[in-house]
Amino acid sequence: MAGLNEDAQWIVLMGFVVSFSLFFLAMVLNQSTVVGQTTAESVLDFPKNDIHDLRSVIIQSVYQKNVDDPVINNDIVSITLARKGAIVNYSSYHQGSYTYINIHYNNGVTVYNETWASP
Amino acid sequence: MVNHEGQLYTIEGVAAGILMIFTAYLVMSTTTVYTPGDTHISDMQLEQLGTDALQMMNTPANGLQSESPLQTIVEQNPMDSATFNTLFLNYVNNETGSKTDNLHYSAAVTYYNISSQTTGSLPLASNRNLTGVEHPVRVTEWVIVNKLFPGDPGGKNQNRAVLVEVLLWRD
Repeated sequence: MAGLNEDAQWIVLMGFVVSFSLFFLAMVLNQSTVVGQTTAESVLDFPKNDIHDLRSVIIQSVYQKNVDDPVINNDIVSITLARKGAIVNYSSYHQGSYTYINIHYNNGVTVYNETWASP
Repeated sequence: MVNHEGQLYTIEGVAAGILMIFTAYLVMSTTTVYTPGDTHISDMQLEQLGTDALQMMNTPANGLQSESPLQTIVEQNPMDSATFNTLFLNYVNNETGSKTDNLHYSAAVTYYNISSQTTGSLPLASNRNLTGVEHPVRVTEWVIVNKLFPGDPGGKNQNRAVLVEVLLWRD
């Protein structure tokens, strides 16, 4: 500080500290408005209930009735495509005393595949 | 040659520069916030509540042996909207104590028309009409029913998978 008065350097330093901490507080405040939105949106966008429900109706129709009804299969595939915008495909086969169901779900963002085996 | 004069002015200049860049960043980023997060949180809770209510209605009283209340409601001809109304509002509106919540709904059944190869919709029940100012969420439940739907070439009852869709809102 050759050309300047060297007094009050602590005051200047504290001034910098306070102003930078104000910057960071403003940044935190700025981010806090979008936190609730992003978490709730990611929960709403993930088709948890769709997959859960679809899986249960497929297992109910194939395992409980013990037959892969082509009419019900067509109903599920067509209505899912029309009302939920998701592509669904499932088929079943029997091996020994067990029933196996291959379930595929794809809504463009989330892909779910499962081979369900009867207990 | 570099000398030691003007150090404090340099630091002040740097700080002012950071301040200007940061202000510009704040101004730019505020334009990306369209809606407050609160509305999405209540949507999420409403969707979960409605899904749970429909799943309870689609659970048979006696394990897998008998039909669920929802199956029975849809299989009636015409569909039993009074029972649906009572059951559904009981599930979504009851709160601890004697107070009740204030949820409204409009329900429909979506089926597949085999002849025309399109999906059709039948109104099931509602306790209030949608006027356009509400902000509803959609909840759905698959149900397998033994019933004759429009466009069925067989002309008699058979097992069909249909989607019960409910628009649910609070006011």
